[in-house]
Amino acid sequence: MTMGKFLVRRILQGVFVIWGVITIMFGLRAVSPGDPATLMLGEGATQELIEHVREQEGLNEPIYVQYFDYLQGMVIGDFGYSWRSNRQVEAMVIERVPATLELAIAATIVAIVIAIPLGVISATRRNEPSDYGATLFSLLGISTPNFWLGLMLILLLGVWAGLFPTGRRPVGFAEAVTTLVQHGSVYDLGIWLKYITLPAITLGTYFTALITRLTRSGMVDELGKPYVTASKAKGLPSVLVRYKHVLRNTMIPIITVLGLQMGTLMGGAVITETVFNWPGLGLRLIDALDARDWPLMQGIVVFIAIAFVSINIVVDALYSYLNPQVREE
Amino acid sequence: MISERVKSNLKQTFSESLLPKLGLLLLVSIVFMAIFAPLLATHDPTRTGHYDEQGAEYPPLGHEYTTQTPHEGDIVEITVEPTTEHVLGTNNVGQDVYSRFLYGARVSLLVGILGTSMALAIGVPVGLVAGYYGGRVDDGLMRIADTMLAFPALVLALALIGVFGESPVMVPDPIVMAGLADGMPESIPIPGTVTIVVALVTWVWFARVARGEALSIRNEEYVKAARSFGTSNKTILLKHVLPNSLTPIIVLATIQVAVIILLEASLAYLGFSGTTLSWGYEIERGQDVLRTRPWVSMFPGIGIVLAVISVNLLGDWFRDALDPNIEGEGR
Repeated sequence: MTMGKFLVRRILQGVFVIWGVITIMFGLRAVSPGDPATLMLGEGATQELIEHVREQEGLNEPIYVQYFDYLQGMVIGDFGYSWRSNRQVEAMVIERVPATLELAIAATIVAIVIAIPLGVISATRRNEPSDYGATLFSLLGISTPNFWLGLMLILLLGVWAGLFPTGRRPVGFAEAVTTLVQHGSVYDLGIWLKYITLPAITLGTYFTALITRLTRSGMVDELGKPYVTASKAKGLPSVLVRYKHVLRNTMIPIITVLGLQMGTLMGGAVITETVFNWPGLGLRLIDALDARDWPLMQGIVVFIAIAFVSINIVVDALYSYLNPQVREE
Repeated sequence: MISERVKSNLKQTFSESLLPKLGLLLLVSIVFMAIFAPLLATHDPTRTGHYDEQGAEYPPLGHEYTTQTPHEGDIVEITVEPTTEHVLGTNNVGQDVYSRFLYGARVSLLVGILGTSMALAIGVPVGLVAGYYGGRVDDGLMRIADTMLAFPALVLALALIGVFGESPVMVPDPIVMAGLADGMPESIPIPGTVTIVVALVTWVWFARVARGEALSIRNEEYVKAARSFGTSNKTILLKHVLPNSLTPIIVLATIQVAVIILLEASLAYLGFSGTTLSWGYEIERGQDVLRTRPWVSMFPGIGIVLAVISVNLLGDWFRDALDPNIEGEGR
């Protein structure tokens, strides 16, 4: 299969998956208790008003008509209006994307910067104290619920040590960069960094632990292969062998797993944002759930699904570029 | 089913490393704690109370209790620090943290084990059928699985609980029923919807592993031989494919118990649980008094970490001993 064909197939599959997500969300809304018009207007609305809204929103149409209206809206990027704030859902989703993206990227950076050296050290010094330390750390990392970790970090580093602020962040990355460009001041950037540190550690710990484990086991496998012995016999410095050849070969499966774990990252972001009152998509999703604001809830979930599917297509493309055999499956 | 080779591998790995022993010890202690919670508890975990500065009850409230969080104004909110009366202190509504810690183990383990069993029951048949028959059946089932994977498990679980409510199931407590522990709650709540929902969002992983196994087993010589004798597909699936794919499924099941315990705790933390006895719920409650009464959140969190570590250690042990290549879901 050529790369082009492979990509077309993956994209078609992705579209199918997103259609599935949209349909499931519609189904959930259809079977959920509570009349949408009443939810929209709140308790105490007159029967007339409710009837008017039902008519206006097409809630009196047969279910399949509602489904196709809804699907049509999604296709052209019209996610409807929030029941609570009456704002456009697309706008409410988009405005929250940067904060979540900043958090996810910061967490991934934390994870990669700590995990890869840790995994390498662990694999090359097997059964030595540093290996046991790294193993213990990664075991704790995958076993600690991130909301609890976040609270303990707030308590230890925020409240007791006073190193980090614990309130809602006053400035986003975009504003911080604007200050830098316009006034040449890194002050806002510093504040931004202070506020993102604890959430990034909270969200990143699980991934740090996961990548450490993957790097260690991948490296251990690779180090046992004949080419490593051969390069050593040739007299290549072991640092070069480890980082250039062995690590590169170890990275391929790690990238795939990370792609698959994007869903976990999004789930973790929901929790982390709740703990730190971080103004991202996850916090908005929880608000929407609490308020039973279906259009907003659906909009956020469908958006997350689209992001997840797209990232996985990119990961698959990268993977098949690195290893053409997978296209033949 | 479980061959001699597997048994000896398990034994060898167990004796070689400290970690499986530690995991087993931890898990046995937590299971013990969960089963005998009514005997080990010092107070009714659901009973709210007034306490004076020294932690002595003041005045006695009688034996009425509620599983609901009382309304503000119902009680005087005095949280006491760890004392001899309340070894781990009390929470914001005057409930004993130590007793709630013990009962929390019940919720975590029950949801972990029941949820994993349900996920197994859905995922394994789907995966085996998809892998064994292949073709359209496989395509269809795997596309459904892909769709499920496109949802972050937590987000899907939240949406499902939002729709179906929390509906806790009250189960009578056998130890209290037998009259062995007076003054403890007569029944314990199992978060009903949460248990079903965690199974619904994690079965896909079992389906994927079972499918992979079935795909390779269906081309084995013994399966071809069975088929040539005219053995029905159903018999082949049950007698040959299922027993031979059990190893990776067992490993995955162990890891999934840990995943589900974390998922339940997260849902409870976000306020979507069926019971206030969950460790996750308690952590959320302690968040309000984090600065002044940190123990309210601290101890249930330690409970979750220990439970998850014990299960993960066992999972690692099984994986190292049985060595299947499987990927597990996170949270």
